[in-house]
Amino acid sequence: MKTIRIKALAVLSVTLGLTFVFALVVRAKGDDFNSVVKLIEHFYGVKHQGIPFLAKAGMKVTTTAAKIKGGSARRLAEAGSVKVAFFEDQTFAGDFTRFRSSLNAALSQTWTPLIQTLSATDKEQTYIFVREADAKYNVLVITIEQREATVVQVTLSPQNLLLLMKDPEGTGKNITQEATIIDQE
Amino acid sequence: MKLLFQKLRLPLIAVALVTLAALVAQAQDPRIQTASLDHLAAKASQTVDVNIDERLIRLAAKLLSDKDSDEKEVKEIITGLKGIYVRSFEFEADGQYTAADVDSIRTQLRAPSWTRMVNVASKKEGGLEVYILMNGEQIGGLAVIATDDRELTVVNLVGLVNLDKLAKLEGQFGVPELGIEKAKPKNDQ
Repeated sequence: MKTIRIKALAVLSVTLGLTFVFALVVRAKGDDFNSVVKLIEHFYGVKHQGIPFLAKAGMKVTTTAAKIKGGSARRLAEAGSVKVAFFEDQTFAGDFTRFRSSLNAALSQTWTPLIQTLSATDKEQTYIFVREADAKYNVLVITIEQREATVVQVTLSPQNLLLLMKDPEGTGKNITQEATIIDQE
Repeated sequence: MKLLFQKLRLPLIAVALVTLAALVAQAQDPRIQTASLDHLAAKASQTVDVNIDERLIRLAAKLLSDKDSDEKEVKEIITGLKGIYVRSFEFEADGQYTAADVDSIRTQLRAPSWTRMVNVASKKEGGLEVYILMNGEQIGGLAVIATDDRELTVVNLVGLVNLDKLAKLEGQFGVPELGIEKAKPKNDQ
């Protein structure tokens, strides 16, 4: 009788443990954009301006079209998939190698770091992370300069992810441009 | 004591064999570790880390066109790959990285697992070392160390590599322009 109780207790503990871990993973996966914004705010002591601010400024965040090489308008992100946070006219001073470690640690569970570029002299950092989202891909682009920063999360089709893989730096810039440019059309 | 040794003999042998197997596996691992270069990021004017894993490569191979001759060639190159990893540092002054930094990579590329290719060179200035890891008759991994007074680049391709078409990957998938070419045979006269 005692053995059965112990076994039942063990099964219950394992089930609860797994449920907790699963809940944590799901939470981390769903909320990484906000976690990154919070991480930047905490690390650099800055405050972001989110989508409401951009909307007030007349920017249509989810329906932007960027002019890219060759002058043709092209949309990389899937419609309605864009999340943007802006940090404008603030100081981003701090050990960027330590920031990179914190960022990688925060995202390593659910995202793959595709490309990371750092410039100690220009104090510029760009990080691009990728994760699967059903048949498509979530891409997180974090750009930090001396006086401004941008966090952009978009969903890409496999074809556009291929563009990103072939030219990670160029396409990463286009994604940020596309998500933050004022739509004049 | 003797009894204890007799009792522990089998587990000890098992532990020794597992450790040996792990060491051999590590020596033959086509993925090289570059964490020893992390500290250079604080001095570099530009640092680039590229990390394209097997899932992304498989996806790219699926999406690249068979109709476009360039894409077809790239597709052929990446089809056998399991990873593309690049670490590149550019500096504004000479002497920002040391021989010990480069040696931390070279020590992982030792014989018998790894072989240095002698018949490759670079069109660019500076040093170029290309190492391959044989997997039977095929190349199972490749490492490139490109050095210049103000530049250090490490490229690591994991999986089956087509050496003849390697140059086609330059400028794509985060692989920098290394100017790799087959060296011309030296004229002894």
